[in-house]
Amino acid sequence: MSDDANAAPPPLRTDGLTVRYPGRKAPSLEGITLAVAAGERVGVAGRTGAGKSTLALAAAGFIPRVVRARLDGRVEVDGIGTAAAAPDALLGRVGIVFATPANQLSASKLTVREELAFGLENLGIPRGEMDPRIDATLARLGIAHLADREPFALSGGEQQRVAIASIVAMGTAVLVLDEPTAQLDPAGTAAVADLLGELARDGAAILCAEHDPSVLGRMDRCIVLEGGRAIALGVPGRALALAAEVAGLTPPTLVRLAQAASMDLASAFDEAAVAAGLRTWVDAGRPGSTDGITGRPPSPGQAWTPGRERPPVRIAIDGVVHRYPGRVEAVCGVSLTIEPGEAVAILGQNGSGKTTLVKHLNGLLRPDEGRILLDGESTEGRPVAELARTVGFVFQNPDDQLFERSVEREVAFGPRNLGIAAGDVAGRVAGSLAAVGLLDERTTNPYDLDLSRRKLVALAGILAMDPAVLVLDEPTTGQDADGVTRVGAIIEAFRGAGRSVVTITHDMEFAARHFGRIVVMRAGEVVADGPPERVFAPGDATLLASTGLALPPAARIAARLGLDTAALDAADLLAALGR
Amino acid sequence: MSATTGYFVAGSSWLHRRNPLTKLLALALVLLSAFLLPPVVLIVLVVLIVVAIWSAGLLRPAARAMRIPALLLLSILVVNSLFFPGATDSLVSFGPFSISREGLTFGLISAGRVLVAFLASVAFLFTTLADDMLEALIARGASHRISFVILSAVQMVPRMQGRAGSILEAQQARGLSLEGSFVRRIRALVPLIGPVILGSLVDVRERTFALEARGFGARPNRTAYRIVADPPIDRWLRLAIIAGCVGVVVVAVTGLAR
Repeated sequence: MSDDANAAPPPLRTDGLTVRYPGRKAPSLEGITLAVAAGERVGVAGRTGAGKSTLALAAAGFIPRVVRARLDGRVEVDGIGTAAAAPDALLGRVGIVFATPANQLSASKLTVREELAFGLENLGIPRGEMDPRIDATLARLGIAHLADREPFALSGGEQQRVAIASIVAMGTAVLVLDEPTAQLDPAGTAAVADLLGELARDGAAILCAEHDPSVLGRMDRCIVLEGGRAIALGVPGRALALAAEVAGLTPPTLVRLAQAASMDLASAFDEAAVAAGLRTWVDAGRPGSTDGITGRPPSPGQAWTPGRERPPVRIAIDGVVHRYPGRVEAVCGVSLTIEPGEAVAILGQNGSGKTTLVKHLNGLLRPDEGRILLDGESTEGRPVAELARTVGFVFQNPDDQLFERSVEREVAFGPRNLGIAAGDVAGRVAGSLAAVGLLDERTTNPYDLDLSRRKLVALAGILAMDPAVLVLDEPTTGQDADGVTRVGAIIEAFRGAGRSVVTITHDMEFAARHFGRIVVMRAGEVVADGPPERVFAPGDATLLASTGLALPPAARIAARLGLDTAALDAADLLAALGR
Repeated sequence: MSATTGYFVAGSSWLHRRNPLTKLLALALVLLSAFLLPPVVLIVLVVLIVVAIWSAGLLRPAARAMRIPALLLLSILVVNSLFFPGATDSLVSFGPFSISREGLTFGLISAGRVLVAFLASVAFLFTTLADDMLEALIARGASHRISFVILSAVQMVPRMQGRAGSILEAQQARGLSLEGSFVRRIRALVPLIGPVILGSLVDVRERTFALEARGFGARPNRTAYRIVADPPIDRWLRLAIIAGCVGVVVVAVTGLAR
């Protein structure tokens, strides 16, 4: 780094940053040199385990002060070396926000206003100055209407924005985020991404680790990590395309399309530009078609194979109404029939009743009206543990179920409960661990794995029970492209074996790619139900928008191009353009 | 009940209006009296606390909160009455069991002490906002770390209760049956309690990070946004309570009450 001696130092800078965690041979981060200027947003991309979180923790000064690890090289915030800084020297200069919204708040405050005041108290700001500062921050971030709400009654997207506001209120000009949108619905994700844009315009320096291309695409630059090293740094489109080329990372759909159109990748995340580029490309007779898409197709790993012959099960949800005590109806009269071999994705904003509905399938909730029939037989009066033989349910938060000391024992828990012979259990455990790509981790303690892999352990635990129906609640949150592909392959295998899958997801692209049927919910009702080509058709975009959802990227481009059919992914769109 | 407010029941009764420190000291006095003074005091304490809860308009929620402790009290009473070691004075016999005078007395005293402890804690938690207590402690110069530990402890139970529901669902979905023999049910507790503890540790790590990012405890000259009321009467009350605590200890140590 040879900065002009007279220029102000960049708010955030790392120089040859290398981090080693105790007990691990290989460094988790190696030789990272990066400067984030005032008003700049830098995204951190890469596979799970590539070092994104470590970079975030180091940039925020948490390594080595809070998280024990050896730090070589240098991290500077406002020209202050973080490693040797006094405990409060970085206070009000750099802040960090993590993935789980509820955990980002102090948990003891009754209003958002008091939540913001908490940081100011710790800074020792006189009480009289607090309210003006709080009001100014809330107004600046466009969340003044939340001031007097209870933090815990807010949606995830609102909570994340309050968490960011709490950091910003402290005067912090360097903001580090570690997958801030991993647990948010599309509307929440967009709101957080907008907020980061506002902050950058105000001169904040932002470093944001993310998987979501819709967030990465809005950064000014992206650094892509692989095995702890930087393999690409530049404008998002170019950096992500380069990473696909040199490390086989799956490029985002928009980048694939931009590549296919041979356009400048700097504008790959500008949808209007991509649409225009594709139009030019089509008019020019589609030069270089078919090999326009780079990046090797992600390997699905070892496919999952059903354990034994199982008769397929037909699910009938018949006029189900569910009311939580003291609240309005969460599900108001839903009827759906799910045939064997059908994969159904349920979409909808947080609070639209998706989880409430699917919890009826294995008896975790009982309908107040209506009934659930599995192969014509009502679930009424049948205990959850018995229905678990037929319906496998994977929860969103794996930490609600992991308790064994090894991955292997954890996965064996379900089949053992079903009374499967020990010899068969071992085979099932190995098979399901292979399907999620964790066979090598079988003796690891689940809590030594990161959240995305803990989720895969929970999924393997249900696969090993060999259910006829698989219910997944947000299986792709926090997963990188490889993890998403693995989950997708398992869903395909289920369909192939004549079994059914019901999945709640916020990931439109995932839904479009792996599901033959899309059900959209709003306020406890089904508002759309059909194949993805129809639900994601350009004409239906207004309905989708009314539910807080958006079309998958390829379908959005198709709409811009005025195609009459929905394109579900890049290949789909390119094929449609060829016709 | 939420993770923020814990057991707090919003209100403006005389008990709500007391400073958290006053109530914390009163809780200490009650516990000292219950465990150090002669058992007959227990009756007085139970009556006083129930009257206090009633006058604060919290009788109904308090009764609800006492349902599970009531089982514990009952079991203390039964186990001691029947199986008190070395008991000789049998009151009633049925089959191989007999209720001993020593056991019944000891059971009543133990259950009485636990009852007082529960009732007093309920009165405290129902009328005290965790955050107010945190502020009051810090304002008195308590260390941030210790204040945070106390705050976490108060919030722990509601937080764990919230998680326990999800964990129960998740494990039932994996075929965990909660029916069957006693041994089977006890064994079923492992997969339920495991995630509560392990998951809480993950939570605590993240929450600690969040507090760290907000500079909790980083500077000595902390200011306060929320003003915790401390009426003059509370200062006198606290003096009286402290004198009471000293008195109880003196009585217990010198054996004056015997």
